[in-house]
Amino acid sequence: MPQQQYKRSCSLATYARLLELYPPSFLQRHRGEMLQNFADLEDATESKVRLWLLIGRDLTNSLSSQFFRLRLGRYVIAVFVTWMLLFAVGAFFHGATPGHPALHVFGGVLPGMLAMYIATRLNRAPQNGISHFFRSPFDIYVTGVFVAWVLLFVIGSFFYGPMRGHPAMQVFGGCLIGMVAMYIATRVYGMQ
Amino acid sequence: MGKSKAAGPLTPAVFHILLALYGRERHGYDIMLQVKEDSQGHVKMGPGTLYGSLDRMIAAGLVIESNKQDPRRIYYKLAALGQAVLRTESERLSAVAAKARRHLRVT
Repeated sequence: MPQQQYKRSCSLATYARLLELYPPSFLQRHRGEMLQNFADLEDATESKVRLWLLIGRDLTNSLSSQFFRLRLGRYVIAVFVTWMLLFAVGAFFHGATPGHPALHVFGGVLPGMLAMYIATRLNRAPQNGISHFFRSPFDIYVTGVFVAWVLLFVIGSFFYGPMRGHPAMQVFGGCLIGMVAMYIATRVYGMQ
Repeated sequence: MGKSKAAGPLTPAVFHILLALYGRERHGYDIMLQVKEDSQGHVKMGPGTLYGSLDRMIAAGLVIESNKQDPRRIYYKLAALGQAVLRTESERLSAVAAKARRHLRVT
């Protein structure tokens, strides 16, 4: 559907971008209707703030609902539960993991991102072959997040020293952050 | 929402969509406006919630698409099952409300 049919505005363009967070199958059915509804809401509203509060709440509720219906969502839950079990068993048998907290978190981010990456590649049509890597916005995003995390932890450790907390929780938290970062990437940049 | 669950208590979103579609086919934005009016402004539904609910309601056989000529303005209407479920849910809510009123009068 040509985008010119809508009265374009900055808000509508932002909303159109946010719609990419929904699963493709849902968008295929409702993208046109949702954009039209947003345009109607925008025309009718007296306050943009109120409009975006409604849209923000709507996105939060409907995205979480859509996500947990996907195979990808169920995969995330499975990985989440597996990680919890692994750390519970590890803590029970071996106690706290020794080492630097920043490394624990970083150690969690990496498998979290990797797990999500594998899941998205398996659940969507992948472009196989190493020659394709680093050529799509998706891969550039992944690399960017990875480098940003390395820098953040190096700077954080340099200025503030080791953080407090249980190592298992630090790794677990890192894993979760990694998965969320990867999920956002897959939705914003697609899976080509 | 499977067909087996359709007779149980409905979510506020599903109940209000059924109510908005009773006796008239509407497109998405029209449904949102009607839900807001019916609920006296207490239920404000965004597009994501609306179409997520509609998808589940179509799968459950409560609602059908009636006019798809304009992909930006698809019209929806109640199926026979949707009307029956709306009636059942309204009676259930009335009974609950009546009981609540009785309790409040006693206390």
